Amino acid sequence: MLEIRNLHASVEGKEILRGVNLSIGDGEVHVLMGPNGSGKSTLSHVLVGNPKYTVTEGTVQFNGKDLLALSPEDRSHEGIFMSFQAPVEIPGVSMTNFMRAAVNAKRKYFQQEPVGASDFLKLLREKRQLVGLDAHFMSRGVNEGFSGGERKRNEIFQMAVLEPCFSILDETDSGLDVDALRIVAEGFNKLRTERTSAMVITHYQRMLDYLKPDFVHVLVNGRIVKSGDASLGYAIEERGFDWIKEEIKD
Amino acid sequence: MAGEKQYLQLYEEHRSLLEQHSCAPMNRHRAAAAGWLREKGLPTQRNEQYKYTDADAAFAPDYGLNLRRVLPEKSPYEAFRCHVPNLSTLVFYMVNDVVCAPLPTQRMPGGVRVLSLCDMAKKKPAFIDEYLHRLAAKADDGVTVLNTLLAQDGWVIHITKGVHLETPIQIVSIQEGHTDLMSNRRVLVVAEEGSDATVLFCHHTAGACRYLSTEVMEAYVHPQARLRLYGVEETGAGSHHFCQTYAEVMQGGRLETGNIHLHGELVRHTSHIRLAEPGAEAEMLAAVVAGDGEHVDHNVLVEHAAEQCTSDMLHKYVLTGKSISAFAGKVLVCPGAQHTLSQQTNANLCASSEARAYSQPMLEIYADDVKCNHGSTTGKLDESALFYMRQRGIAEAEARLLLQHAFVNDVLQRIELAPLRERLAHLVELRFRGELGKCRGCTLCR
Repeated sequence: MLEIRNLHASVEGKEILRGVNLSIGDGEVHVLMGPNGSGKSTLSHVLVGNPKYTVTEGTVQFNGKDLLALSPEDRSHEGIFMSFQAPVEIPGVSMTNFMRAAVNAKRKYFQQEPVGASDFLKLLREKRQLVGLDAHFMSRGVNEGFSGGERKRNEIFQMAVLEPCFSILDETDSGLDVDALRIVAEGFNKLRTERTSAMVITHYQRMLDYLKPDFVHVLVNGRIVKSGDASLGYAIEERGFDWIKEEIKD
Repeated sequence: MAGEKQYLQLYEEHRSLLEQHSCAPMNRHRAAAAGWLREKGLPTQRNEQYKYTDADAAFAPDYGLNLRRVLPEKSPYEAFRCHVPNLSTLVFYMVNDVVCAPLPTQRMPGGVRVLSLCDMAKKKPAFIDEYLHRLAAKADDGVTVLNTLLAQDGWVIHITKGVHLETPIQIVSIQEGHTDLMSNRRVLVVAEEGSDATVLFCHHTAGACRYLSTEVMEAYVHPQARLRLYGVEETGAGSHHFCQTYAEVMQGGRLETGNIHLHGELVRHTSHIRLAEPGAEAEMLAAVVAGDGEHVDHNVLVEHAAEQCTSDMLHKYVLTGKSISAFAGKVLVCPGAQHTLSQQTNANLCASSEARAYSQPMLEIYADDVKCNHGSTTGKLDESALFYMRQRGIAEAEARLLLQHAFVNDVLQRIELAPLRERLAHLVELRFRGELGKCRGCTLCR
């Protein structure tokens, strides 16, 4: 599904990614771990095309397409979704209007008619229930006055509505209490299929418990320095990152 | 100070013609107005009130005036027919500064009068004497004085005691002509005790000529009355519009004003709202979408002259292209106006790097037991919100549009009358999408 080759990227002239290589196949869940500032969020933002980040070298193939050549919105239409670490508030744009605009933009991309009013409301209701998001959130501005937990739940709700084939969860678990984390992780698990993949950034073992990832990668100084299965994640939880940094030195 | 000379000359040369086609209550004030103008002239940018808009320069070109009150060739009621879905209004037209007689089918509810000032002066001279030029006379403003010098007619809207008018009155003003033209209008709105009414003023232009118009409105809100005055500016390139509003709100009365700017090359609003008796309230709204080459200037003074009065001002401006907005809002709390509650908010969104927003929020307080807040913000589009929307697949242009619309939407949401609120919100959306102006006349039609 996703092939990242020798990816270098910088923000405000500072190089953050220094040659990332990563392959993610259909149906796989990859967890990305690493110390603060190692480039995890940068990698996520580069993949979704945030204009603040500049790719200086390397390639990314997404389902056979040159991902880096696509606009952020076309990447979204092609099936990439990012659950933001800090979802922004958009006062005055109601959740319903926002989601309608998003759904119809995707339909337009695939030359489909805009979604009908009743079908759309049915879709929203169904997906809301998946993450336990109350109906009154739909008439509020996007993330306006939402608590930290509600914002993260809202991210998974949007993911459910847009049905991406590749999702990036950027610390979706941070700032969540135990129950909220369960709801978010279970919501995510319900959306998993054999053909959907994900890249999950987390610092917590609890997320590993829920998601049961196929692979765990460690990013240090803008490079993936170690990969393994879920047990690598548990080892990091127990021992931190220093031993990996030592290994690299050797 | 020079722009006024041609108008003074015109007045002196055509005084009898001007007066002959007007009425005595209006003619009565012309000589004094001429004297004032001779002495003080039209405001320039050296005048604090006009520091962001050069009125003198705007009045400098040589415009024609329709002194003989020639009627339009076609009845605007046919040329600009309005079919407003979900919003039926009592509609009246004015072409340039000529009041067009309403359609014979127009049935007015009891206790409501909408007619030309000159007609009213014939029918109810005492009424006109009581109200006309009482508030405007105090204004130390060259544009208002010029209007007094040259205006020949206008509207009287009179809501009698206790009458609740459910259908809004809509006054459509159309500027049209074969030559560059100046129009001067006078409007008088009187809401008697306990009455309730909504008036919508739509300003349009047609054709490719340049237009300059001045309008002086005096509004009287009597005890316990409620009056809503909304204005929609949808004039074209080459239109300069000066709108002067003077209002007085009496005990327990409430005045709501709203300016929706969709298009207009130069638009200046001067408002002086006086909360004259205890418990009077005023809400002043402005939602402005200024496009490339447009200049919108609002100068608002709210005078808390009595205790326990409330005022709330919310002015929001979205500036695109090379546009300019200016907001100067002053809340004046007079000695003795205790328990004043006032809020003043101005927010500007510069959606292009060439846009300029000037903001001057002011408080002047001479009472010690009051609550007055004011704030002003000016910023650019939130790039992180923009990217968030694009990540969800919303195209950049659409995302910008949604953000801009959302910015002014909270102003529109304050409009109480649901059909009107929805129509205006729809118009603003059309404006953002560049789809206005498909209909020659009033865009509320389609």
